[in-house]
Amino acid sequence: MNHTVIIAQRVLIQLKGDRRFLMLYFIAPVLIIYFLKLLIDTLPHFVPVVSIAMPICAFIVHFLSFILCAILLVQERTRGTLERMMIAGYSKTSIIGGYTLGYFGLATFQSLIAFSESIWLFHLNYSFGTILFMFIVIWLLSVVSVMLGIFISTFAKHEAHVLPFIPLIIFPSVFLTGLIIDSDKLPLWAELIGDCLPIHYAINILKEIMHVDYQVVNTLADFVILIGYIFGLLFLASFTLRETE
Amino acid sequence: MNAIEITNLSKQYGKILAINHMDLVVPEGMIYGIVGSNGAGKSTLIKALVGSLRPTSGAARVLGLDPLNEKWELRKQIGYMPQSPALYDDLTARENILFFGKAQSINELGKRTDEILEFTELSARASDKVGTFSGGMKKRVSLCCAMVHNPKILFLDEPTAAIDPHLKILLWRLFRKLAQSGVTIFLSTHQMDEVLLCDKVTIMSNGEILATDTPQKLIGLGKSRLTLTVNGIEKSTTIGSTSQNLASELQKSGFDPKISSVAIQTESIEEIILSIMNQREEEIKR
Repeated sequence: MNHTVIIAQRVLIQLKGDRRFLMLYFIAPVLIIYFLKLLIDTLPHFVPVVSIAMPICAFIVHFLSFILCAILLVQERTRGTLERMMIAGYSKTSIIGGYTLGYFGLATFQSLIAFSESIWLFHLNYSFGTILFMFIVIWLLSVVSVMLGIFISTFAKHEAHVLPFIPLIIFPSVFLTGLIIDSDKLPLWAELIGDCLPIHYAINILKEIMHVDYQVVNTLADFVILIGYIFGLLFLASFTLRETE
Repeated sequence: MNAIEITNLSKQYGKILAINHMDLVVPEGMIYGIVGSNGAGKSTLIKALVGSLRPTSGAARVLGLDPLNEKWELRKQIGYMPQSPALYDDLTARENILFFGKAQSINELGKRTDEILEFTELSARASDKVGTFSGGMKKRVSLCCAMVHNPKILFLDEPTAAIDPHLKILLWRLFRKLAQSGVTIFLSTHQMDEVLLCDKVTIMSNGEILATDTPQKLIGLGKSRLTLTVNGIEKSTTIGSTSQNLASELQKSGFDPKISSVAIQTESIEEIILSIMNQREEEIKR
Protein backbone atom coordinates (compact mmCIF):
# COMPACT_ATOMS: atom_id res chain seq x y z
CA MET A 1 0.00 0.00 0.00
CA ASN A 2 1.13 3.54 -0.68
CA HIS A 3 3.05 5.10 2.22
CA THR A 4 0.92 8.25 2.14
CA VAL A 5 -2.27 6.22 2.58
CA ILE A 6 -0.67 4.13 5.35
CA ILE A 7 0.27 7.28 7.29
CA ALA A 8 -3.17 8.85 6.72
CA GLN A 9 -4.79 5.65 8.03
CA ARG A 10 -2.54 5.70 11.07
CA VAL A 11 -3.36 9.36 11.76
CA LEU A 12 -7.09 8.60 11.65
CA ILE A 13 -6.84 5.44 13.80
CA GLN A 14 -4.71 7.34 16.30
CA LEU A 15 -7.06 10.33 16.49
CA LYS A 16 -10.08 8.05 16.78
CA GLY A 17 -8.63 6.85 20.06
CA ASP A 18 -7.86 10.38 21.29
CA ARG A 19 -11.09 11.54 22.90
CA ARG A 20 -9.72 14.89 23.99
CA PHE A 21 -8.74 15.69 20.45
CA LEU A 22 -12.10 14.62 19.07
CA MET A 23 -13.90 16.72 21.68
CA LEU A 24 -11.84 19.78 20.81
CA TYR A 25 -11.99 19.25 17.09
CA PHE A 26 -15.70 18.55 16.68
CA ILE A 27 -17.52 19.67 19.83
CA ALA A 28 -15.60 22.92 20.41
CA PRO A 29 -16.71 24.60 17.13
CA VAL A 30 -20.31 23.56 17.79
CA LEU A 31 -20.21 25.17 21.24
CA ILE A 32 -18.37 28.30 20.10
CA ILE A 33 -20.85 28.87 17.26
CA TYR A 34 -23.69 28.45 19.75
CA PHE A 35 -22.07 31.04 22.06
CA LEU A 36 -21.76 33.30 19.03
CA LYS A 37 -25.49 32.89 18.41
CA LEU A 38 -26.19 33.91 22.03
CA LEU A 39 -24.02 37.00 21.56
CA ILE A 40 -25.56 37.96 18.24
CA ASP A 41 -29.08 37.63 19.70
CA THR A 42 -28.22 40.48 22.10
CA LEU A 43 -27.22 42.83 19.26
CA PRO A 44 -29.61 45.51 17.94
CA HIS A 45 -31.69 44.45 14.93
CA PHE A 46 -29.92 46.76 12.48
CA VAL A 47 -26.65 44.81 12.87
CA PRO A 48 -26.21 42.66 9.72
CA VAL A 49 -26.06 39.32 11.54
CA VAL A 50 -26.11 37.29 8.37
CA SER A 51 -23.01 38.96 6.96
CA ILE A 52 -20.85 38.30 10.03
CA ALA A 53 -22.13 34.86 11.08
CA MET A 54 -20.59 32.90 8.23
CA PRO A 55 -17.16 34.65 8.27
CA ILE A 56 -16.95 34.02 12.03
CA CYS A 57 -17.86 30.36 11.44
CA ALA A 58 -15.00 30.26 8.93
CA PHE A 59 -12.65 31.82 11.49
CA ILE A 60 -13.55 29.23 14.17
CA VAL A 61 -12.82 26.37 11.76
CA HIS A 62 -9.58 28.08 10.69
CA PHE A 63 -8.33 28.59 14.24
CA LEU A 64 -9.14 25.11 15.58
CA SER A 65 -7.81 23.24 12.54
CA PHE A 66 -4.56 25.22 12.58
CA ILE A 67 -3.81 24.96 16.26
CA LEU A 68 -4.74 21.29 16.74
CA CYS A 69 -2.88 20.15 13.66
CA ALA A 70 0.25 22.10 14.64
CA ILE A 71 0.25 20.73 18.19
CA LEU A 72 -0.26 17.13 17.10
CA LEU A 73 2.62 17.31 14.66
CA VAL A 74 4.87 18.88 17.29
CA GLN A 75 3.95 15.97 19.58
CA GLU A 76 5.20 13.61 16.87
CA ARG A 77 8.53 15.41 16.98
CA THR A 78 8.87 15.53 20.78
CA ARG A 79 7.93 11.86 21.18
CA GLY A 80 10.49 10.83 18.58
CA THR A 81 7.94 9.14 16.31
CA LEU A 82 8.65 11.55 13.45
CA GLU A 83 12.35 10.66 13.47
CA ARG A 84 11.47 6.99 13.83
CA MET A 85 9.10 7.11 10.86
CA MET A 86 11.87 8.54 8.69
CA ILE A 87 14.46 5.99 9.82
CA ALA A 88 11.92 3.20 9.33
CA GLY A 89 11.73 4.21 5.67
CA TYR A 90 8.88 6.71 5.30
CA SER A 91 9.88 9.67 3.15
CA LYS A 92 9.34 13.31 4.04
CA THR A 93 6.90 13.66 1.16
CA SER A 94 4.82 10.68 2.24
CA ILE A 95 4.73 11.95 5.84
CA ILE A 96 3.42 15.37 4.81
CA GLY A 97 1.10 13.76 2.27
CA GLY A 98 -0.19 11.30 4.87
CA TYR A 99 -0.88 14.02 7.39
CA THR A 100 -2.54 16.16 4.77
CA LEU A 101 -4.74 13.29 3.63
CA GLY A 102 -5.62 12.28 7.20
CA TYR A 103 -6.54 15.80 8.28
CA PHE A 104 -8.20 16.47 4.95
CA GLY A 105 -11.01 14.11 5.93
CA LEU A 106 -11.20 15.56 9.43
CA ALA A 107 -11.20 19.13 8.14
CA THR A 108 -14.03 18.27 5.74
CA PHE A 109 -16.08 16.74 8.53
CA GLN A 110 -15.41 19.59 10.93
CA SER A 111 -16.28 22.30 8.43
CA LEU A 112 -19.46 20.40 7.51
CA ILE A 113 -20.57 20.31 11.16
CA ALA A 114 -19.74 23.97 11.83
CA PHE A 115 -21.31 25.09 8.56
CA SER A 116 -24.54 23.12 9.05
CA GLU A 117 -24.93 24.45 12.57
CA SER A 118 -24.43 28.04 11.38
CA ILE A 119 -27.03 27.64 8.63
CA TRP A 120 -29.52 26.22 11.14
CA LEU A 121 -28.88 28.58 14.07
CA PHE A 122 -28.79 31.79 12.07
CA HIS A 123 -31.69 30.76 9.81
CA LEU A 124 -29.65 31.53 6.71
CA ASN A 125 -31.99 31.32 3.80
CA TYR A 126 -29.94 30.83 0.66
CA SER A 127 -30.30 28.78 -2.49
CA PHE A 128 -28.65 25.35 -2.61
CA GLY A 129 -25.98 26.66 -4.98
CA THR A 130 -25.01 29.51 -2.61
CA ILE A 131 -24.87 27.17 0.37
CA LEU A 132 -22.69 24.75 -1.59
CA PHE A 133 -20.32 27.57 -2.53
CA MET A 134 -20.11 28.76 1.07
CA PHE A 135 -19.30 25.24 2.21
CA ILE A 136 -16.58 24.88 -0.42
CA VAL A 137 -14.97 28.13 0.79
CA ILE A 138 -15.01 27.06 4.46
CA TRP A 139 -13.69 23.65 3.51
CA LEU A 140 -10.86 25.16 1.44
CA LEU A 141 -9.99 27.40 4.39
CA SER A 142 -9.88 24.41 6.76
CA VAL A 143 -7.49 22.63 4.38
CA VAL A 144 -5.31 25.79 4.30
CA SER A 145 -5.39 25.77 8.12
CA VAL A 146 -4.14 22.17 8.20
CA MET A 147 -1.29 23.12 5.87
CA LEU A 148 -0.51 26.15 8.01
CA GLY A 149 -0.44 23.87 11.07
CA ILE A 150 1.98 21.47 9.36
CA PHE A 151 4.19 24.36 8.26
CA ILE A 152 4.24 26.12 11.66
CA SER A 153 4.97 22.83 13.45
CA THR A 154 8.31 22.63 11.66
CA PHE A 155 9.49 25.67 13.65
CA ALA A 156 8.53 24.25 17.03
CA LYS A 157 10.58 21.78 19.03
CA HIS A 158 7.87 21.32 21.65
CA GLU A 159 4.21 22.22 22.17
CA ALA A 160 5.00 25.49 23.97
CA HIS A 161 6.76 26.78 20.86
CA VAL A 162 3.42 26.76 19.03
CA LEU A 163 1.90 29.25 21.48
CA PRO A 164 3.65 32.41 20.16
CA PHE A 165 2.25 31.66 16.70
CA ILE A 166 -1.33 31.79 17.98
CA PRO A 167 -1.52 35.57 18.56
CA LEU A 168 0.76 36.13 15.57
CA ILE A 169 -1.64 34.46 13.19
CA ILE A 170 -4.98 34.66 14.94
CA PHE A 171 -5.21 38.31 16.08
CA PRO A 172 -4.31 39.82 12.69
CA SER A 173 -6.86 37.37 11.23
CA VAL A 174 -9.56 38.82 13.48
CA PHE A 175 -8.71 42.52 13.18
CA LEU A 176 -7.12 43.01 9.76
CA THR A 177 -8.87 40.69 7.31
CA GLY A 178 -12.38 42.10 7.12
CA LEU A 179 -13.87 39.73 9.68
CA ILE A 180 -15.19 42.51 11.92
CA ILE A 181 -14.66 45.66 9.88
CA ASP A 182 -13.97 46.12 6.19
CA SER A 183 -10.23 45.91 5.66
CA ASP A 184 -10.24 48.77 3.14
CA LYS A 185 -11.07 51.14 6.03
CA LEU A 186 -7.75 50.26 7.68
CA PRO A 187 -4.42 52.09 7.12
CA LEU A 188 -2.63 50.76 4.06
CA TRP A 189 0.08 48.93 6.02
CA ALA A 190 -2.53 47.13 8.14
CA GLU A 191 -4.54 46.28 5.05
CA LEU A 192 -1.41 44.80 3.45
CA ILE A 193 -0.82 42.59 6.51
CA GLY A 194 -4.43 41.43 6.31
CA ASP A 195 -3.96 40.66 2.60
CA CYS A 196 -1.17 38.20 3.51
CA LEU A 197 -3.50 36.04 5.60
CA PRO A 198 -5.48 33.27 3.93
CA ILE A 199 -8.70 33.92 5.85
CA HIS A 200 -8.92 37.36 4.19
CA TYR A 201 -9.66 35.70 0.84
CA ALA A 202 -12.18 33.28 2.35
CA ILE A 203 -14.02 36.20 3.97
CA ASN A 204 -13.97 38.14 0.69
CA ILE A 205 -15.61 35.24 -1.11
CA LEU A 206 -18.17 34.59 1.66
CA LYS A 207 -19.24 38.25 1.68
CA GLU A 208 -19.54 38.28 -2.10
CA ILE A 209 -21.53 35.04 -2.22
CA MET A 210 -24.22 36.58 -0.02
CA HIS A 211 -24.98 39.24 -2.65
CA VAL A 212 -27.98 38.48 -4.80
CA ASP A 213 -26.10 39.28 -8.03
CA TYR A 214 -23.07 37.11 -7.14
CA GLN A 215 -21.09 35.63 -9.97
CA VAL A 216 -18.18 33.21 -9.51
CA VAL A 217 -15.99 35.25 -11.80
CA ASN A 218 -16.06 38.16 -9.28
CA THR A 219 -14.22 36.04 -6.72
CA LEU A 220 -12.13 33.89 -9.02
CA ALA A 221 -8.91 35.60 -7.95
CA ASP A 222 -9.74 34.97 -4.26
CA PHE A 223 -10.42 31.29 -5.01
CA VAL A 224 -7.14 30.96 -6.88
CA ILE A 225 -5.20 32.61 -4.03
CA LEU A 226 -6.88 30.39 -1.42
CA ILE A 227 -5.98 27.25 -3.39
CA GLY A 228 -2.53 28.74 -3.97
CA TYR A 229 -2.06 28.91 -0.20
CA ILE A 230 -2.69 25.15 0.03
CA PHE A 231 0.04 24.32 -2.46
CA GLY A 232 2.36 27.09 -1.28
CA LEU A 233 2.22 25.97 2.34
CA LEU A 234 2.54 22.32 1.30
CA PHE A 235 5.68 23.21 -0.63
CA LEU A 236 7.09 25.26 2.27
CA ALA A 237 6.31 22.48 4.77
CA SER A 238 8.12 19.89 2.65
CA PHE A 239 11.03 22.31 2.37
CA THR A 240 11.32 23.02 6.10
CA LEU A 241 10.63 19.52 7.49
CA ARG A 242 14.14 18.25 8.08
CA GLU A 243 15.19 14.62 7.83
CA THR A 244 18.56 15.18 9.48
CA GLU A 245 19.78 17.28 12.41
CA MET B 1 32.81 -7.89 6.16
CA ASN B 2 32.55 -5.13 8.70
CA ALA B 3 29.08 -4.04 9.72
CA ILE B 4 30.19 -0.50 10.58
CA GLU B 5 33.25 1.52 9.61
CA ILE B 6 33.77 4.99 11.05
CA THR B 7 36.64 7.19 9.89
CA ASN B 8 37.61 10.42 11.61
CA LEU B 9 33.97 11.22 12.42
CA SER B 10 33.16 14.48 14.22
CA LYS B 11 29.96 16.26 15.15
CA GLN B 12 29.97 19.75 16.56
CA TYR B 13 27.00 21.58 18.11
CA GLY B 14 28.15 25.19 18.43
CA LYS B 15 31.09 25.04 20.81
CA ILE B 16 30.37 21.50 21.95
CA LEU B 17 32.19 18.68 20.21
CA ALA B 18 29.77 15.77 20.64
CA ILE B 19 31.94 13.34 18.64
CA ASN B 20 35.64 14.02 18.41
CA HIS B 21 37.49 12.55 15.38
CA MET B 22 36.31 9.01 16.01
CA ASP B 23 37.59 5.88 14.26
CA LEU B 24 35.77 2.61 14.83
CA VAL B 25 35.24 -0.75 13.15
CA VAL B 26 32.45 -3.12 14.13
CA PRO B 27 32.57 -6.67 12.71
CA GLU B 28 29.32 -8.37 11.67
CA GLY B 29 27.27 -10.64 13.91
CA MET B 30 28.31 -9.44 17.36
CA ILE B 31 26.84 -7.48 20.21
CA TYR B 32 28.86 -4.29 20.24
CA GLY B 33 28.44 -1.98 23.19
CA ILE B 34 29.14 1.74 23.42
CA VAL B 35 29.54 2.54 27.08
CA GLY B 36 29.73 5.96 28.63
CA SER B 37 28.06 8.35 30.98
CA ASN B 38 25.26 10.72 29.92
CA GLY B 39 26.51 13.25 27.39
CA ALA B 40 29.39 11.03 26.25
CA GLY B 41 28.16 11.19 22.63
CA LYS B 42 26.59 7.72 22.39
CA SER B 43 23.20 8.81 21.02
CA THR B 44 24.84 11.29 18.65
CA LEU B 45 26.98 8.47 17.27
CA ILE B 46 23.97 6.20 16.75
CA LYS B 47 22.02 9.00 15.07
CA ALA B 48 24.92 9.62 12.71
CA LEU B 49 24.99 5.91 11.82
CA VAL B 50 21.26 5.64 11.10
CA GLY B 51 21.34 8.76 8.91
CA SER B 52 19.36 11.00 11.22
CA LEU B 53 22.26 13.36 11.85
CA ARG B 54 24.72 14.98 9.48
CA PRO B 55 28.32 14.76 10.79
CA THR B 56 30.44 17.90 10.77
CA SER B 57 33.35 15.96 9.25
CA GLY B 58 34.55 12.44 8.62
CA ALA B 59 32.72 9.46 7.18
CA ALA B 60 30.68 6.50 8.30
CA ARG B 61 29.68 3.40 6.37
CA VAL B 62 27.08 0.95 7.57
CA LEU B 63 26.99 -2.37 5.69
CA GLY B 64 29.18 -0.62 3.12
CA LEU B 65 26.58 2.14 2.59
CA ASP B 66 26.68 5.86 3.30
CA PRO B 67 23.95 6.61 5.90
CA LEU B 68 23.06 9.93 4.23
CA ASN B 69 23.55 9.42 0.51
CA GLU B 70 22.38 5.80 0.37
CA LYS B 71 19.76 6.05 3.09
CA TRP B 72 16.91 4.29 1.26
CA GLU B 73 19.00 1.20 0.59
CA LEU B 74 20.39 1.28 4.12
CA ARG B 75 17.05 1.73 5.90
CA LYS B 76 15.84 -1.59 4.50
CA GLN B 77 18.69 -3.28 6.36
CA ILE B 78 18.82 -1.49 9.70
CA GLY B 79 16.52 -1.28 12.68
CA TYR B 80 16.56 1.59 15.16
CA MET B 81 15.26 1.64 18.72
CA PRO B 82 15.49 5.16 20.14
CA GLN B 83 16.07 6.02 23.79
CA SER B 84 12.45 7.08 24.33
CA PRO B 85 9.86 4.48 23.30
CA ALA B 86 8.74 6.63 20.26
CA LEU B 87 5.44 4.79 19.94
CA TYR B 88 1.82 5.84 19.42
CA ASP B 89 0.02 5.52 22.76
CA ASP B 90 -3.40 5.47 21.11
CA LEU B 91 -2.51 2.49 18.93
CA THR B 92 -2.24 -1.10 20.10
CA ALA B 93 1.11 -2.89 20.27
CA ARG B 94 0.23 -4.78 17.11
CA GLU B 95 -0.88 -1.63 15.26
CA ASN B 96 2.38 0.12 16.17
CA ILE B 97 4.48 -2.77 14.88
CA LEU B 98 2.42 -3.07 11.69
CA PHE B 99 2.71 0.67 11.04
CA PHE B 100 6.50 0.74 11.24
CA GLY B 101 6.69 -2.60 9.39
CA LYS B 102 4.69 -1.23 6.47
CA ALA B 103 7.46 1.28 5.77
CA GLN B 104 9.34 -1.64 4.17
CA SER B 105 8.00 -4.29 1.83
CA ILE B 106 7.79 -7.33 4.08
CA ASN B 107 6.30 -10.64 3.02
CA GLU B 108 3.59 -11.85 5.38
CA LEU B 109 3.88 -8.86 7.70
CA GLY B 110 1.01 -10.11 9.90
CA LYS B 111 2.75 -13.46 10.46
CA ARG B 112 6.07 -11.77 11.14
CA THR B 113 4.38 -9.42 13.65
CA ASP B 114 2.89 -12.41 15.50
CA GLU B 115 6.31 -14.09 15.58
CA ILE B 116 8.11 -11.13 17.12
CA LEU B 117 5.30 -10.49 19.59
CA GLU B 118 5.80 -14.07 20.75
CA PHE B 119 9.58 -13.67 20.72
CA THR B 120 9.30 -10.68 23.06
CA GLU B 121 6.60 -12.37 25.18
CA LEU B 122 3.99 -9.76 24.28
CA SER B 123 1.39 -11.89 22.47
CA ALA B 124 -1.09 -11.67 25.34
CA ARG B 125 -1.09 -7.85 25.23
CA ALA B 126 -0.89 -7.44 21.44
CA SER B 127 -4.35 -5.88 21.17
CA ASP B 128 -3.96 -3.49 24.10
CA LYS B 129 -3.19 0.17 23.60
CA VAL B 130 0.46 1.03 24.21
CA GLY B 131 -0.62 3.90 26.46
CA THR B 132 -1.66 1.32 29.07
CA PHE B 133 1.77 -0.40 29.06
CA SER B 134 4.55 -0.15 31.63
CA GLY B 135 7.90 1.38 30.62
CA GLY B 136 9.45 -2.06 30.19
CA MET B 137 6.65 -3.31 27.97
CA LYS B 138 6.95 -0.19 25.82
CA LYS B 139 10.66 -0.97 25.41
CA ARG B 140 9.75 -4.42 24.15
CA VAL B 141 7.18 -3.02 21.68
CA SER B 142 9.81 -0.53 20.57
CA LEU B 143 12.25 -3.40 19.99
CA CYS B 144 9.58 -5.21 17.95
CA CYS B 145 9.13 -2.09 15.78
CA ALA B 146 12.89 -1.95 15.20
CA MET B 147 13.21 -5.62 14.20
CA VAL B 148 9.93 -6.26 12.35
CA HIS B 149 11.61 -6.06 8.91
CA ASN B 150 14.40 -8.53 9.77
CA PRO B 151 17.25 -5.98 9.76
CA LYS B 152 20.89 -7.01 9.49
CA ILE B 153 21.92 -4.44 12.10
CA LEU B 154 19.96 -3.27 15.12
CA PHE B 155 20.85 0.11 16.61
CA LEU B 156 19.61 0.22 20.18
CA ASP B 157 19.97 3.48 22.10
CA GLU B 158 20.06 2.68 25.83
CA PRO B 159 17.60 -0.20 25.48
CA THR B 160 17.76 -1.21 29.12
CA ALA B 161 17.67 2.23 30.76
CA ALA B 162 15.05 2.64 33.50
CA ILE B 163 13.74 -0.91 33.49
CA ASP B 164 13.65 -3.50 36.26
CA PRO B 165 16.36 -6.21 36.58
CA HIS B 166 14.03 -9.02 35.52
CA LEU B 167 13.14 -7.32 32.25
CA LYS B 168 16.75 -6.34 31.71
CA ILE B 169 17.76 -10.01 31.81
CA LEU B 170 14.89 -10.87 29.45
CA LEU B 171 15.98 -8.19 26.96
CA TRP B 172 19.60 -9.31 27.06
CA ARG B 173 18.46 -12.87 26.42
CA LEU B 174 16.61 -11.57 23.34
CA PHE B 175 19.67 -9.63 22.16
CA ARG B 176 21.82 -12.74 22.47
CA LYS B 177 19.28 -14.82 20.51
CA LEU B 178 19.24 -12.18 17.78
CA ALA B 179 23.04 -12.07 17.63
CA GLN B 180 23.14 -15.87 17.39
CA SER B 181 20.82 -15.63 14.37
CA GLY B 182 23.39 -13.37 12.66
CA VAL B 183 22.05 -9.90 13.51
CA THR B 184 24.69 -7.34 14.46
CA ILE B 185 23.61 -5.44 17.56
CA PHE B 186 25.10 -2.01 18.16
CA LEU B 187 23.88 -0.65 21.47
CA SER B 188 24.65 2.14 23.86
CA THR B 189 24.45 1.96 27.62
CA HIS B 190 25.58 3.88 30.66
CA GLN B 191 25.24 0.82 32.90
CA MET B 192 28.75 -0.47 33.39
CA ASP B 193 27.68 -4.00 34.37
CA GLU B 194 26.31 -4.48 30.84
CA VAL B 195 29.85 -4.38 29.48
CA LEU B 196 30.19 -8.03 30.43
CA LEU B 197 27.23 -8.98 28.27
CA CYS B 198 28.69 -7.53 25.06
CA ASP B 199 31.11 -9.27 22.70
CA LYS B 200 33.14 -6.10 22.28
CA VAL B 201 32.97 -2.73 23.92
CA THR B 202 34.02 0.84 23.26
CA ILE B 203 34.20 3.17 26.22
CA MET B 204 33.35 6.76 25.33
CA SER B 205 33.70 10.02 27.20
CA ASN B 206 33.16 13.57 25.95
CA GLY B 207 32.89 12.37 22.38
CA GLU B 208 36.18 10.47 22.47
CA ILE B 209 37.01 6.78 22.53
CA LEU B 210 38.81 5.83 25.75
CA ALA B 211 39.19 2.12 25.10
CA THR B 212 37.98 -0.61 22.75
CA ASP B 213 38.30 -4.26 23.64
CA THR B 214 36.53 -7.45 24.66
CA PRO B 215 34.99 -7.36 28.16
CA GLN B 216 37.46 -10.02 29.36
CA LYS B 217 40.43 -7.95 28.29
CA LEU B 218 38.94 -4.83 29.83
CA ILE B 219 38.53 -6.67 33.12
CA GLY B 220 42.17 -7.75 32.80
CA LEU B 221 43.10 -4.07 32.76
CA GLY B 222 41.70 -3.68 36.26
CA LYS B 223 43.67 -3.98 39.50
CA SER B 224 42.76 -5.82 42.68
CA ARG B 225 43.95 -5.22 46.18
CA LEU B 226 44.98 -8.52 47.78
CA THR B 227 45.51 -8.77 51.52
CA LEU B 228 46.94 -12.01 52.92
CA THR B 229 47.27 -12.72 56.65
CA VAL B 230 50.13 -15.19 57.26
CA ASN B 231 50.95 -16.12 60.88
CA GLY B 232 48.98 -13.09 62.05
CA ILE B 233 50.86 -10.66 59.83
CA GLU B 234 48.88 -8.76 57.20
CA LYS B 235 50.49 -8.21 53.82
CA SER B 236 48.78 -6.12 51.14
CA THR B 237 49.65 -5.98 47.47
CA THR B 238 48.10 -4.77 44.22
CA ILE B 239 47.72 -7.38 41.50
CA GLY B 240 46.08 -7.69 38.09
CA SER B 241 42.44 -8.77 37.99
CA THR B 242 42.89 -12.05 36.14
CA SER B 243 42.62 -15.48 37.77
CA GLN B 244 46.27 -16.16 36.81
CA ASN B 245 47.47 -13.04 38.64
CA LEU B 246 45.75 -14.22 41.79
CA ALA B 247 47.21 -17.73 41.62
CA SER B 248 50.70 -16.41 40.98
CA GLU B 249 50.50 -14.06 43.98
CA LEU B 250 49.22 -16.84 46.25
CA GLN B 251 52.04 -19.15 45.14
CA LYS B 252 54.51 -16.74 46.76
CA SER B 253 52.94 -17.66 50.08
CA GLY B 254 53.21 -21.40 49.53
CA PHE B 255 50.10 -21.99 47.43
CA ASP B 256 50.33 -25.24 45.43
CA PRO B 257 52.14 -24.31 42.18
CA LYS B 258 50.05 -26.89 40.33
CA ILE B 259 47.05 -24.58 40.74
CA SER B 260 47.65 -22.04 38.03
CA SER B 261 44.45 -20.07 38.20
CA VAL B 262 42.13 -19.01 41.02
CA ALA B 263 38.92 -17.08 40.31
CA ILE B 264 36.37 -15.72 42.71
CA GLN B 265 33.09 -14.75 41.15
CA THR B 266 30.91 -12.61 43.33
CA GLU B 267 27.29 -11.88 42.55
CA SER B 268 26.51 -8.39 41.35
CA ILE B 269 24.03 -6.32 43.34
CA GLU B 270 21.48 -6.76 40.56
CA GLU B 271 21.80 -10.54 40.72
CA ILE B 272 21.41 -10.45 44.50
CA ILE B 273 18.26 -8.31 44.30
CA LEU B 274 16.82 -10.55 41.61
CA SER B 275 17.58 -13.66 43.62
CA ILE B 276 15.83 -12.12 46.67
CA MET B 277 12.83 -11.27 44.49
CA ASN B 278 12.74 -14.78 42.98
CA GLN B 279 13.00 -16.31 46.44
CA ARG B 280 10.02 -14.25 47.59
CA GLU B 281 8.03 -15.23 44.51
CA GLU B 282 8.79 -18.90 45.21
CA GLU B 283 7.61 -18.45 48.82
CA ILE B 284 4.34 -16.89 47.64
CA LYS B 285 3.81 -19.73 45.17
CA ARG B 286 4.27 -22.27 47.97
